[in-house]
Amino acid sequence: AEVTWNVSLWGNRRAFTENVEYLAERVAKESNGRFEIKLHYGASLSKARENLDGISIGAFEMAQICASYHADKNPTLTVLELPFLGVSDLKTEARVSMKLYEQDVVKKDLARWNAIAFMPTPMPQYNFLGKGEAPTSIKDFDGMRVRALGGIGELMRAVGAVPTTVTAAETYQAMESGTVQAASFAPHAHLAFKTVEVGNWWTANMNPGTVQCPVVMNSDAYAALPDDLKKILDESVQPAVDHYIANYETVYDRWWPTLKKQEITQVTFSDAELAALKEKAAPIWKAWVDKMEAQGIPGQELLDKMQAEIKG
Amino acid sequence: MTPFEVGLLMTGVLLVLVVIGVRVAFAAAFVGVVGLIAVFSMRMGFERGFITALKMAGTIPHSKSVTYSLSVLPTFILIGFLAFYAGLTRQLFEASKRWLGWLPGGMAVGTIFATAGFAAVSGASVATAAVFARVAIPEMLAVGYSKRLSAAVVAAGGTLASLIPPSAILVIYAILVEQSVGKLLIAGFVPGIYSALVYVAIIVGMAAWRGDAPAIKGFTWGERFASIPGTLPIFAVVAIIFISLFGIEIGGYSFAATPTEAGSLGAFVVLVTAFVKGMRLKQLGQALHETAKLAVMIFTLIWGVLCYVRFLGFAGLPDAFRDFVVSLPHSPMLTLVLILCAYAVLGMFIDAIGMLILTLPVVYPAVIALNGGEFVSAADSAFGMSGEACSIWFGILVVKMAELCLITPPIGLNCFVVAGVRPDIPVQEVFRGCIPFFIADILTIAGLLAFPGIVTWLPSMM
Amino acid sequence: MTQPEKPNGDAATYRVLSGTLAHIEDVFNLIAAASIMALMLLAVVQIFARTFLNQPVPGFIDITEQAMAVFTFLGIAYCQRVGGHIRMEMLLGMLSGRAIWIAEFMGVLVILAVVLALDYGSWFHFYRAWTIGDSTIDINLPTWPSKLLVPVALSLLVLRLVLQLVGYWRLIVDPTRMPIDVPVVVDVTETARHEIEETLGDEADEETGKGDAAR
Ligand code: NA
Ligand code: NA
Repeated sequence: AEVTWNVSLWGNRRAFTENVEYLAERVAKESNGRFEIKLHYGASLSKARENLDGISIGAFEMAQICASYHADKNPTLTVLELPFLGVSDLKTEARVSMKLYEQDVVKKDLARWNAIAFMPTPMPQYNFLGKGEAPTSIKDFDGMRVRALGGIGELMRAVGAVPTTVTAAETYQAMESGTVQAASFAPHAHLAFKTVEVGNWWTANMNPGTVQCPVVMNSDAYAALPDDLKKILDESVQPAVDHYIANYETVYDRWWPTLKKQEITQVTFSDAELAALKEKAAPIWKAWVDKMEAQGIPGQELLDKMQAEIKG
Repeated sequence: MTPFEVGLLMTGVLLVLVVIGVRVAFAAAFVGVVGLIAVFSMRMGFERGFITALKMAGTIPHSKSVTYSLSVLPTFILIGFLAFYAGLTRQLFEASKRWLGWLPGGMAVGTIFATAGFAAVSGASVATAAVFARVAIPEMLAVGYSKRLSAAVVAAGGTLASLIPPSAILVIYAILVEQSVGKLLIAGFVPGIYSALVYVAIIVGMAAWRGDAPAIKGFTWGERFASIPGTLPIFAVVAIIFISLFGIEIGGYSFAATPTEAGSLGAFVVLVTAFVKGMRLKQLGQALHETAKLAVMIFTLIWGVLCYVRFLGFAGLPDAFRDFVVSLPHSPMLTLVLILCAYAVLGMFIDAIGMLILTLPVVYPAVIALNGGEFVSAADSAFGMSGEACSIWFGILVVKMAELCLITPPIGLNCFVVAGVRPDIPVQEVFRGCIPFFIADILTIAGLLAFPGIVTWLPSMM
Repeated sequence: MTQPEKPNGDAATYRVLSGTLAHIEDVFNLIAAASIMALMLLAVVQIFARTFLNQPVPGFIDITEQAMAVFTFLGIAYCQRVGGHIRMEMLLGMLSGRAIWIAEFMGVLVILAVVLALDYGSWFHFYRAWTIGDSTIDINLPTWPSKLLVPVALSLLVLRLVLQLVGYWRLIVDPTRMPIDVPVVVDVTETARHEIEETLGDEADEETGKGDAAR
């Protein structure tokens, strides 16, 4: 191939990585093999938390990252991790994320790492799957050790839980050993990281929010691409995301039967409980805006823009 | 040259560096950094490639060491150093002697059980051999056992420490192959006991046949029970490990805990016992000092080798070795046995932890592929077990191989340690005495190969 | 290797430098040892607070991980000084005289090369965290202090390695000199003796005494 890019990924191939898989496939096809995007799984090129470092060094050209693994590396991206933003489906999530990546303040944020966010990995609501006695009301989360990232972690802290975050790959072991009692993940991750095998309850309608995991690339590598390859890459993003979303539907074909097979209790909270929980979100939003403004980032403006975009 | 060829070449360089005596951790890091420079230079020219490689390599020590699951290591090492000061050796030996002395070769049988018990508070085979050389050998000699037998029993019994939890080497294995640390630790328990029983069978058999290692009789039941309380800290540590790792609930409290927490609590219990037994602060300082030294050695080895592994990741070598091993014409079992034999040979020249860290990144994926892959079901696999079970099973096998090398010439360290504590017993004599135990170990390994359930049953209960 | 030391001028300065460095190394190793004790106690507190008070230590994993850098790196130069990093001594053991010192010198040179490279790289790893920002997941501890420990510890190791080069160089120049502050190849009997000392502490000497008496 004329150009080869390496992509740093963690874990195994799963629904979460289908956007990158499809992107690589399509780019190879459209460029007649001139542009090869090589996927490296299992964190063999870098640990998940250090993917931005690897991009900034130029050790690989592309990587998937999750903003809340290192909120202070990419503060602007965490806006879409605030709890109860009200994103209802993956299509909206993808559209809003793309809009986020276009913001100058986000571009500037990532430029510090020599990085460009260019493709979202939209994820559904991060409901909790837990081991032990199932919570029947929100106050049952008091003192519970939960794996909950970003804004969801803040939300859980607000109801008395203790965020105890291990990496995705370590979650199974952590739940098994009792380090954490519940983990918030998208369904594909509950399946891929086997939390369904240790847990016995799932918060079916809590829908606290999601996590922002873009695919980023090294800006020099992008700038160095010949125009026609650049065009092929750019034009492959939307099809890759569409493929990802279509594929994600198939996760549910496995998800519901697995819940049944593992005899996992589906916890549904009453409207009153959920309303009480949502009230906890406002101070978290405010704290986020304050933190951003203190760093010179127009947090309120960014949040307003994103909310407008979510409403459509 | 392709990155793959660079991978092969640099692996050769690593072997040469290790053989000529460069410290393993740095030899591996060196090869990793040079390899990264080569790989990046091919992509972006030497100047940029050089800097990129250095910066990439510079992320590895911190990123790979600062990992929660590895934090269990110093706690396990510390338990071992404190266990000696807690006076558990003599208590254990006394108890096993009173309970099991009536068997032919009873004093030796007692020693094996005492070392197995001590293994529950120590992860270091060599240290176990050292402390029992001093406690058990004089008593065995006093009742007329030969020097050869007395010394060998201690050297062999010491090797149990790495199988029975806590075991630093099993933690390292688990983390390198990304398996549950808890499962690996629990998995070592039954094979450790089984291994001890095989030793006991050999001792009893030899004693009954030759009649030169008499039974020790005459202890009353009262004396037997009186010997129990002194060993309670051992049972406490075993209980802590089992209760935490199995997440057992008692009286409404769930005592589930991580290996780090279990190790810390175990170390704390032994620490308190040691203080009660009169350990001085200076000795605690010494134990901590040695723990720190061993910890930094192990962590340097881990990140050093992971520099090399990161380079292999860029070069794609493990995939190629895996494909090669899978394509071998022999049966998977024969291939596995050959791999284990290679470990036995390698273990004669290099420390067990170094050997594992150095080889597993390449060998482990090959073994898992041999079984049919990470996600294979027991029904579709070559060895009749799931991918996860296979990685646990292989871990125990490899550690047992490494332990075997502690009682074989030329550098079977346990034998040298026993001979060192007892200047009156020449090391050749210890090696000679170990021959039956070497045979016992071969039988043990054969048993583990033929009946993997010995290994996989207990962790499957978790 | 047991010849009496020949008087020579360079050894005096060398001894002073090595001794000073050894002090720093000892302090670093002491801090590492203390951190192990502290983390053990923190974990015990965590277990009790969590189990009986339902109140785990917030950010326990974050704290443990960041503190791990203390005992994983600070003792590295100390460990090099006392020859604690493992190696294979089969081949070295067959050499003698000048050949062995040349081999040792080359071995240290390899280590120095890679440690300089990692020192440089790990500095940038720290520098990114410091200038751009990075923090832990649960309680947002900054990661730069623990990342800084790596280049600090490796720099100390660089100094030790340079001294070891000098130390071995003295011996290459004149193999009859006595080795000062450099690890020497020991046979397995000697290794065994070290292991015994580590395990039995003060009582090791007493033990050997007993052994002699038995003979
Ligand atoms: Na043990
Ligand atoms: Na060992």
